[in-house]
Amino acid sequence: MAKQTYDVIVIGTGAGGGMAIKTLCEAGLKVCALNAGRRLDPEKDFRYHRMPWDMNFRGLDDPKRRGESFGYMDNEYTKAAWDHEIPFTVAPGTKWMWPRCNAVGGKTNFWGRSSARFGDIDFKAASLDGYDVDWPITHDEISPFYTRVEKMIGVASTVQNRPSNPDGSYLPPFKFRCLDFILQAGCNKAGVPYLPDRCAQLTEAHEGHPACHFCGECTTGCDVGAFFSTPYFLLPKAEATKNLELRTNALAKNVLVDENGQATGVAYIDRKTKQEVEVYGRAVVVAASCIESSRIMLNSKSRHWPNGIANSSAQLGRNLCDHLYGESARGYLPQLVGQPSFPDHVGDSTIAWMPRWQNLKDPHEENFIRGYSIYPDGGCEEFPGFATDMDGFGSSFKREVKRRYPSPVSFGIQAPSLRSDTNFMDLDPEVKDPYGIPVARMHFEWDENVLKMWEHSKQVCAEVLRAAGGVVEEIGGEQEIPGWSLHETGTCRMGNDPKKFVTNRFGQTHDVPNLYVCDASVFLNCTDKTTTISILAFSLRTSEHLIENFRQGEHKAA
Amino acid sequence: MAGQGIQRREVLRILGTAAAAAQFPGFSKWGLACGHIGNAALQIKPAVYRPQFFTAAEYAMVERLTEIIIPSDDTPGAREAGVAEFIDFMVANDPEPQYPFRVGLAWLNAHAEQTNGKRFVELTPEEQTSLLEPLGFKDKARPGVESGVRFFSLMREFTVTGFYTSEIGFKELDNPALKFYAESPECPHQGDPEHVHVSQSHS
Repeated sequence: MAKQTYDVIVIGTGAGGGMAIKTLCEAGLKVCALNAGRRLDPEKDFRYHRMPWDMNFRGLDDPKRRGESFGYMDNEYTKAAWDHEIPFTVAPGTKWMWPRCNAVGGKTNFWGRSSARFGDIDFKAASLDGYDVDWPITHDEISPFYTRVEKMIGVASTVQNRPSNPDGSYLPPFKFRCLDFILQAGCNKAGVPYLPDRCAQLTEAHEGHPACHFCGECTTGCDVGAFFSTPYFLLPKAEATKNLELRTNALAKNVLVDENGQATGVAYIDRKTKQEVEVYGRAVVVAASCIESSRIMLNSKSRHWPNGIANSSAQLGRNLCDHLYGESARGYLPQLVGQPSFPDHVGDSTIAWMPRWQNLKDPHEENFIRGYSIYPDGGCEEFPGFATDMDGFGSSFKREVKRRYPSPVSFGIQAPSLRSDTNFMDLDPEVKDPYGIPVARMHFEWDENVLKMWEHSKQVCAEVLRAAGGVVEEIGGEQEIPGWSLHETGTCRMGNDPKKFVTNRFGQTHDVPNLYVCDASVFLNCTDKTTTISILAFSLRTSEHLIENFRQGEHKAA
Repeated sequence: MAGQGIQRREVLRILGTAAAAAQFPGFSKWGLACGHIGNAALQIKPAVYRPQFFTAAEYAMVERLTEIIIPSDDTPGAREAGVAEFIDFMVANDPEPQYPFRVGLAWLNAHAEQTNGKRFVELTPEEQTSLLEPLGFKDKARPGVESGVRFFSLMREFTVTGFYTSEIGFKELDNPALKFYAESPECPHQGDPEHVHVSQSHS
């Protein structure tokens, strides 16, 4: 039997892979997509409006499993959707949490939906403050792709005219809750912005997708697809072209190469049969998420690529950046004590934000470079967590819980680490996963700059809360450990110099022209913004570059 | 009042999605909607709850303590919400709090014997309350009962968790979680962004 050759093999079906698959299929290319897990069933794998008392452990999960959970999205309602089979290791001194949803659609099934564009203040940060290097792209170049993505997925926000946050094309914003108006007044006094977040949640029906029903449980999956995820938004469009073959439970192992070191396909493990299978294509797109993509490429060793495919720069797996997350301050608003309950959590915490306001006029205004953003949160949450620490008992206690219920507020920081030589991933030389593939080994510590942002945020958030008339109860609780944010970037950085960067400015690897990378690993750092909308915009651009290369005859169609 | 002007649709509770909820046989009071998918045997609800971890005597103490922490008054409390069952189930499945609960309950009984000459459950409600006040109220704390204070905090934490994750606890707070809205709910106090007058009108 003659071996079948597809035009493109795409590894991964998350934001990056999903966008590549849709774009390539619609251009008429034959695509074989590999996904490491299964397809999810919303009724079984999402929360699906289950109430706590519908669950064995009230949604708090089996205590025996709690320690294995990879963060807030991996819980009793959704635990079957997260991967716990493929291990990873950490170097001495490193703490790392690595939530991986290997199901079709990946983390887009459960993502936080905040969708701010990167701007020139991010792309040209090195020119401004002298640290590291600029991105090989400007906002003018990527802006049309952002606009197309915003129209495709629907982002609720407002035009805000801020230098750190280019505006885009938006659906009507979420309306402000009581706590937003109160905190906004405090922010005005403290000189800090308080605005509607950019939230990819459909405040009105959009492009055939229904409007949100505001149940507030987005990060446990949406049963109607009222926010962007690839299984609802992109994969059906790709499947409609009949150009897609999606193979599930296909754990990519390595990229295959020919006698010239060019990509010819991918070897994967069929997790059901445990057999290794090869699939062939004229081009390969790696979009398995930052660390997993680097792991696959580092594991793609051959005579041509003894240190991993497309790694002549030795930068593959290096330059790992992540967002520091943590609660900068916490307290309550006396104005809301005793108020009737209010549906504060319909946006699942991304209704408002305090977008980067530091180092805008002068890159060295603060004692740190770059900047961070804050996500305020609070009001009537599903569980009144504050009550577990309250004093007293009896009817007075019960009344006080009810009175305090609408009033808690907290401030979560999102602060970028700086690129460093000591933060990276590599392959563990000894440990292998159950399929014999070397596991990722993490080397990571927070840098001094990001810890200064953390300190700064504690003071500012406490000041904002006090200025809003609130009561500060705690300043700077525990930080989350690295990896928790799911925003890792940098392990296949893009740049013009093949000696210093893995891919060119289009996400095409310098060494292997028919090998492309479509996820956050191509980003130079993680900025103060979240990554998903940028993964979508960059993947769209890379995919169209790939299509153009087919048209030009650089890669021959199947 | 919050919620005015919000077009609130009926909460479409989807029947038959209680999913894995019914694997534990003892939920007599949780009102689980578990009539689904081949679990018919699990619908049998025992009339009397049989504790999985606590002894009968311990369980009686736990039930009484939950009731003291969140009593039935003008609204239902921990007893109606089956909080003692929840605590027994969670502790049965988690080795970590087992020892603190067991030792704490024994401490409380010894403390009751020492103070009032009777076991805790044999005391009058007034005696129970005054015995617990130094453990549960910071401004009534006194030296010598530190281990009792720690135990009471644990008891209160589990009671709060069990109560406010129950259907009765949701009703107590008028918990807005998982309800459906036609549009994004908006602050009803337009014209008073700092909410200064709101707090006065409700104090």
